[in-house]
Amino acid sequence: MATLSINSVRKSFGAVEVLNNIDIEVEDGGFLVLLGPSGCGKSTLLAIIAGLENSSGGDILIGDKNVNDVHPKDRNIAMVFQSYALYPTMPVRRNIGFGLEMRKVAPKDREAAVQRAAELLQIEHLLDRKPGQLSGGQRQRVAMGRAIVRNPDLFLFDEPLSNLDAKLRVEMRTEIKRLHDRLGTTTVYVTHDQVEALTLGTKVAVMKGGVIQQLADPETIYDRPANMFVAGFIGSPTMNFLKGTLEQGDGGLVLRHAAGTLALAGLQQDVAGFVGREVTAGIRPEMLDSGDGPASLTGVVDVVEPTGPDTMVIASVGGQLITARLGPKDRPRPGEPLTLTVDTTAINLFDPVSGNRI
Amino acid sequence: MAATRSRSKLLWDVISYVVLVGLAFIAIAPIVWTFLTSLKFEEDIVTRTMQYIPSRITFENYVKLWNQSGYPVLVINSLIVTTTTVLLCLLTGTVAAYAFSRFQFKGRTQLMLGYLVVRMFPAVLMIIPLFIIMRQVGLLDSTIGLAIAYTSFLLPLFVWMLKGFFDAAPKELESAARIDGTTRLGAMFMVVIPIARNGLLATCVFVAIAAWNEFLFALMLTTSQGSRTWPVGLQLMVGEFQLPWGMLAAGGMISILPVIVLFAIVQRAMVAGLTAGAVKG
Ligand SMILES: Nc1ncnc2c1ncn2[C@@H]1O[C@H](COP(=O)(O)OP(=O)(O)O)[C@@H](O)[C@H]1O
Ligand SMILES: [Mg+2]
Repeated sequence: MATLSINSVRKSFGAVEVLNNIDIEVEDGGFLVLLGPSGCGKSTLLAIIAGLENSSGGDILIGDKNVNDVHPKDRNIAMVFQSYALYPTMPVRRNIGFGLEMRKVAPKDREAAVQRAAELLQIEHLLDRKPGQLSGGQRQRVAMGRAIVRNPDLFLFDEPLSNLDAKLRVEMRTEIKRLHDRLGTTTVYVTHDQVEALTLGTKVAVMKGGVIQQLADPETIYDRPANMFVAGFIGSPTMNFLKGTLEQGDGGLVLRHAAGTLALAGLQQDVAGFVGREVTAGIRPEMLDSGDGPASLTGVVDVVEPTGPDTMVIASVGGQLITARLGPKDRPRPGEPLTLTVDTTAINLFDPVSGNRI
Repeated sequence: MAATRSRSKLLWDVISYVVLVGLAFIAIAPIVWTFLTSLKFEEDIVTRTMQYIPSRITFENYVKLWNQSGYPVLVINSLIVTTTTVLLCLLTGTVAAYAFSRFQFKGRTQLMLGYLVVRMFPAVLMIIPLFIIMRQVGLLDSTIGLAIAYTSFLLPLFVWMLKGFFDAAPKELESAARIDGTTRLGAMFMVVIPIARNGLLATCVFVAIAAWNEFLFALMLTTSQGSRTWPVGLQLMVGEFQLPWGMLAAGGMISILPVIVLFAIVQRAMVAGLTAGAVKG
């Protein structure tokens, strides 16, 4: 086990800059999630950590050791790939033990280690099959087995669950979390799925266009997104953005929007400099509830989407569409007027020009 | 309506089969005829009226060819030249194809194109320079020299074909192997080549068949019985006053035997390659 430091890492392919000054520290036993849309450079960063790709600048430290010039095989890392990358010509047993075989571990010890890993992942009965004879979920488990069998300093995962169907994905997510709790190995996990990021990570780096937008624990990312990109990328349904003008009212700050004003009591931000200017209020769907209150929005119901535990209601507030997560019994009808009370303590205000949180 | 459609479909089927059977006939008939000729007595071959099916059968042509004409030496020479060519291609071409498939280096595209351009010149153009070079280095009239000459024009084909098979092997597998503790070359030998095994086999067989059947270079670059290959030897049997049809046919039949065997191997490997290529789910 070890810490991981990524110091000012850059990467260009020709003239195209793919990673721009990435700085991340992961504590020993930490779980870092690299989250971002496709093509933002997550896999490239992971490949640089693994040593499969050279960086164009900056340092990677595993423990206290600078590994810039260390071969992948000598970094004592293990990686699970999106395609699982199981060796198709070898049976599962040899797939899992291949790393030990290459490290010249005695066959008896190797066999025991493979057996332990297989038991942990419940794949003992598959050991003599070839990867081609396994289902997607089973391959996934074998790929994990290959990673844990070596007891590495660092686990690297590149979208390991994205080829699984929805149900299996949730199952394996839990499995990965359980494994991490049990083994405590420092982990870097790449995904474009925000739910995976929030559930697994002790630290989440949200990336876009090769730049880290925010690096924080999942709670901070969710509650206090650094900018509108992070705010919109995290959470489902996505955060509502209500445009308006910030004004000083009688009882405190208010947001004047197209369909009225919204009192901003209990705001967690210092927004003094923005009074009288345009701002965008970020309101998560679950901060809205039906009924009147000290701070409320009124609009007209547009679409109602019952999902079982919740009812998603999309309403038009002064021409802006707002999604509210209401209780299962709340079933307003399209066209009806609707009043939503807002939990203003959880509102985030953004500068609409820069997109940053004020 | 339905009737016309099924009738036009029938017509279409008939036309397809006529064309296919015709093409198959053109491909197979010469071989069958050669085979039948090789079993005929000399006086039954050149006759006033054409005799397709021999009325009597003899293996005399084969016996005579094997015992009197030095044919075994020719076949052995061909075997040596073919094997050497394949080995040279394997040794140099496999690594080259892997590099072309996996690395982005300066001049990569130009090199690959250069390999193709070599193939575009007619072989005749290369023979004279090759002849001079071989004479200079003392490899004229030797099986090794001939194998090197063959390698010079078969290697590009080998590299291009094999690169295709390497390209088809997912790169993530090598990444996995390198993290698991192999070097790049180790990953190639332990992971990529086993996957591309059938492709490698097929490529080798194509090179082997091309080398086995080659005539022009062999004619120019060999002069003695010691290094001559079977196509040249067979051609030299055609004398000014005699045409030993029976022996020529027998020689032809013997020489396509290895080709048939090799093709049988490729075919099985290719079918196996198609069905076992389950890398991804
Ligand atoms: N070998 C390469 N050559 C050129 N561009 C590349 C190469 N690998 C990745 N890229 C580019 O780098 C960017 C980031 O890729 P990647 O790290 O795979 O994104 P992600 O994993 O976040 O989807 C993409 O725009 C991709 O096109
Ligand atoms: Mg990726």
